[in-house]
Amino acid sequence: MNYKPDEKDWMAYLYGEAEGVEKEKMDQYLLENAEARKQFEAFQHMRKLMSSVEDKEVIAPPIIIEGSKQRFLWNTPYFRMIVSIAASLLLIILVGRATGTRISMSGNEFKLSFGAEQPAQINTPAKETTPSLTADQVQDMINNSLAANNTQIESSWEESQKKLNASIKQNLAVNSAKVDELMKSASVASQEQIRNYVASMQAENMQQVKDYFQMTSAQQKTYIESLLIDFDKYLQQQRNNDLQLVQTRLHSIEENSNVFQQETEQILSSIISSVGTSNVNEKKN
Amino acid sequence: MHAETLLDIAMMHSDALILRAKQGDQNAQGKLVQLWYKRIYNFSYKFFQDHDMAMEVSQKTFISMCKNLGGLQDTLRFKSWLYKIAVNYCREEARKTKNSRSLSFDTVWNREAEDSPRWESSGQRNDNPEKQLEQLELSDILQQALFELNDEQREVVIMKEYEGLKFREIAEVLNISENTVKSRMYYGLDALKKILEKKNINKDTIGYEL
Repeated sequence: MNYKPDEKDWMAYLYGEAEGVEKEKMDQYLLENAEARKQFEAFQHMRKLMSSVEDKEVIAPPIIIEGSKQRFLWNTPYFRMIVSIAASLLLIILVGRATGTRISMSGNEFKLSFGAEQPAQINTPAKETTPSLTADQVQDMINNSLAANNTQIESSWEESQKKLNASIKQNLAVNSAKVDELMKSASVASQEQIRNYVASMQAENMQQVKDYFQMTSAQQKTYIESLLIDFDKYLQQQRNNDLQLVQTRLHSIEENSNVFQQETEQILSSIISSVGTSNVNEKKN
Repeated sequence: MHAETLLDIAMMHSDALILRAKQGDQNAQGKLVQLWYKRIYNFSYKFFQDHDMAMEVSQKTFISMCKNLGGLQDTLRFKSWLYKIAVNYCREEARKTKNSRSLSFDTVWNREAEDSPRWESSGQRNDNPEKQLEQLELSDILQQALFELNDEQREVVIMKEYEGLKFREIAEVLNISENTVKSRMYYGLDALKKILEKKNINKDTIGYEL
């Protein structure tokens, strides 16, 4: 039998919705096929398991349905919105009328005004009261002021030049006086002073050299002393080591001689005993 | 699957009620709401695992039902028509939730656990409390597993397994072919099986309970 059920057949059979030939085919298939029977049992078991989920108890709340009233045009939201916009515009117009509001725009000017319009004041430029100057007159005025300015600058420059020269001369005089004083004091320094200075230098040097030698001789003395002490210790240690060595050598020689003596005794006793037994055997024979 | 209750029988034979509700009888509409509210609520609850969202979807569904019932051509198709409305609202809410995911107050507070012991809310009243507890734990695991399915498989599985709709009716609700419904159901069950196996729930581990 080549029949093989698909998912649809399985589900229809499992839930008892397969009829006629379909059902018979499935019955036969399950009879002949142990694996399919196993699968079917697994599905049935799954259904049994699922049946353990129980319904929850619940109380139906009251359901309130709005009555289907006829909706008039004025109850629609669009109509209400349009009417409210129109009312707002009307209100703005009435307020404008009552306050006499005027709004105007001309060029870059925006004008918002209230109340009656007043004639604008025209500002006329003031009439010229002074006669105008000619170009030559202006040039003359400029030339004059420039000339006056130049003479003023020249006079002030000359004055500052004079002041500068005077201060330089004064400084030179002061500095040369100071140099002269220094030269004089240097030449006045006597031979006696120089001699004293040299003598003091020599004394200082001598003292320093003496101190140095004293210090070095003391250091050398302590160094040599410590060296001698160390050498003495070294010799003492060496002597002890030699004595120990000699002692151990002597001890080992003594031990060796004892061993040698024991071995000799053993050999002698074995020779004596062997000689004794050979004599007895000879006598027996 | 479930034993038919009086409510189920009333739901199946409510043609006259639907007709009256269709004609605008508010009393009949109220009765329809009472009849179907639990079913729609439980469908939505299993879809979202959330009480608030299930309530939201249920209320929207019944408001829409009352408003649009006049347009229903065939009263025999009332059931699939009602589920179609519910599924659409579920999808709408799911889209909103995906955009802004938040915890429900019920999830945080767990009002039921606060008010009463869990076994009291159970419909079945067994004498063995241990078995009841196991049953509740299993129920929680199953609902969680159901929630892990993708939306398409979940809505088919809930409608078939818990709401008892025929494949033809589910196809009508979802506006897809019957074969597609069966295919989604097959893969949904298969996915559930795998999810439960991951959670170590199989025939051997809980076989003794069933």
